[in-house]
Amino acid sequence: METAQLLCALCAAKGGSGAESTAAQTALSLTGLPGGQVDALGNAWVTFGAENGPHLLLEAHIDQIGMIVTHIDKDGFVRFAPCGGLDVRTLPGSPVEIYAQGASEPLPGVVSSVPPHLNQNGTKELPDMADLAVDAGLSKEEAEKRIHPGDRMFLRYTPKTLLGTRVVSGALDDRAGGASLILCAQMLKDVPLSCRVTLLFATREEVGGQGAKTAAFGLSPDAAICVDVGFADQPGAKPAATKPLGSGAMIGTAPILNRAMVGRLASLAEREGIPYTWDVMGGSTGTDCDEVAVTKSGVPTALLSIPQRSMHTAAEIVDTKDVEAVARLMAAYAKEVHNA
Amino acid sequence: MTQLYTDLKALCGLRGISGQEGEVRAYLKEEIGKLSGVRMEETALGGLLVYKTGRARAKTRVLIDAHMDEVGFVVTHLSNEGLLAFSTVGGIDPRVVAGDSVWVGSDGRKVPGAVILPPVHLTDRADRQKTIPYEKLWIDIGAENKEEAQKAVRPGDMVTFATTLTENSESLFGRALDDRAGCALLLNLLRDEDWAFDTVFSFSTQEETGGAGAKTNGFAADPQAAIVVESTTAGDMAGVDEDRLVCRQGKGPVLSFMDHGMIYDRTYCRWAFEEAERLGVPCQWKEAVAGGNNAGSLHVTRAGVRSVAVSLPCRYIHAPMGLLRKADFEAALPLLKALCARIAQAAPDET
Repeated sequence: METAQLLCALCAAKGGSGAESTAAQTALSLTGLPGGQVDALGNAWVTFGAENGPHLLLEAHIDQIGMIVTHIDKDGFVRFAPCGGLDVRTLPGSPVEIYAQGASEPLPGVVSSVPPHLNQNGTKELPDMADLAVDAGLSKEEAEKRIHPGDRMFLRYTPKTLLGTRVVSGALDDRAGGASLILCAQMLKDVPLSCRVTLLFATREEVGGQGAKTAAFGLSPDAAICVDVGFADQPGAKPAATKPLGSGAMIGTAPILNRAMVGRLASLAEREGIPYTWDVMGGSTGTDCDEVAVTKSGVPTALLSIPQRSMHTAAEIVDTKDVEAVARLMAAYAKEVHNA
Repeated sequence: MTQLYTDLKALCGLRGISGQEGEVRAYLKEEIGKLSGVRMEETALGGLLVYKTGRARAKTRVLIDAHMDEVGFVVTHLSNEGLLAFSTVGGIDPRVVAGDSVWVGSDGRKVPGAVILPPVHLTDRADRQKTIPYEKLWIDIGAENKEEAQKAVRPGDMVTFATTLTENSESLFGRALDDRAGCALLLNLLRDEDWAFDTVFSFSTQEETGGAGAKTNGFAADPQAAIVVESTTAGDMAGVDEDRLVCRQGKGPVLSFMDHGMIYDRTYCRWAFEEAERLGVPCQWKEAVAGGNNAGSLHVTRAGVRSVAVSLPCRYIHAPMGLLRKADFEAALPLLKALCARIAQAAPDET
């Protein structure tokens, strides 16, 4: 499967934080590896390589930004809370899919938007998220019958390949990371490894990283590489805070990350001719690394990021070259560093 | 009603901003070309005029109009980074644009794109609750640079929201319901084989940019009465006061007494309500002086044309996905048929 197709397949399977099973099962099955497992918090993983070798964890989170239904209001509108860092600037008037528990197909909806000439505050300020609702186009009775508190909703998107090597979709944060794990496993398929490799698709990153925290405890890795998305260059984003789309793997460096691993990843990238940039953070990384690194008595952890535009929207864009660069770099690491 | 929905689905799947209505026109020409008892002509600005023969000659020449164009955007500039700058075609609230999926391209070419926005994480706290103005929004089609973008897109290309028609048991959700819903209704009146009086059907262009198509179609057809079939804002939602919500969904087609374009013919409004009552379909007033439509152009055609608008109460028009109740849409079909006949059989000056 081409990288772009892999990304589209992963993004098409929905998985809001705490309700990731569809996305997690899709990811497991796309690895093509036998023996996938799921734990108490919905984390999904699969292991391959040398059974008794040192244990390398490759991690990406499988949940995505979305909405959670709180109640149906007196006029039949579906009220919601954000599930993850939803961007209110993308909400008014946007099409929505409502995943009602037990329904075979998502219900259509649209985020309500008061017409400009009826809006007291004009069009420059956006409504508070708490004042927005999803219009399911149903009477109150019908809405209450079909949609329930706790149901998940997502801005509607269709994963698409753009010009060249770029892909647009919701959920690319962090299915792009998930795709790099799957590509890495494919690259290692016929390679004799002296280490044991676990691919972990972790839950709940967007609401605090509880999935990675408990999975890392359960798996007890000797080292970990987490893959998430980073900020790509685009108008309105400070150039110093971003890396160009298509510039390769962003190698993270931060106090919580293991300097030896980070250095090793950079020298492997140099040696293998894998394009990379530095992604320097002064404090925590804001990724699952922050949880994995402090598991039990501590896990040496590195962060690789894939540059992305419009993070936390339905217009997330990545370049497949960057996804592939991250996969190649992880494969090189697994082959070299943990080879006895 | 099956044919009505088949047509609506097809029409809402077509792309056509003002001045680039070719796809919609082609569909209508093909469908109308299959009908008997009609004569069709294309006007200079791309509109269609269809003369339908009834069982009898009309005492008053009635023209019924719907517009083919939709609101959207047009590409204005390709940046060195391969991104596209754009302008609105028709009125689109900037609050509904950031993060939208779009199709870019004209004349049979199209590529997918998205309206990108800087990530919220890198946005100053004070700006996170502010609408991103158009001059700071860009469309990304995946091009790495200007040269790559130029191979796929050129200035003047149309940009449309990448949504198609979906539905549930009660409602229709779709792009361009304004005014493909009107086009679908007119097409199904044309399909009606039990038609009372000769009537002119107008499918007009460029409504969203001022009504140039209706102005010229009106001149060409020279009617004595006009019925405009449109979508209008239903503001019956949270945060809107009862006295400002314009019209309500589920209460049937909407009759205007006045809007920003004109004052409507009071007799024709009364007849519409009378016909609705006789048919047992709901009908409501537009309880606001707001908006405007092709009747604004048609009523001042030549020496003047008595005009009425029958609108569909639609939420979220001029946005990626409008919402229309099926019951309101279906109620419009018999009402329009009856109103065409009522006006056509009366003398031009009857009140």
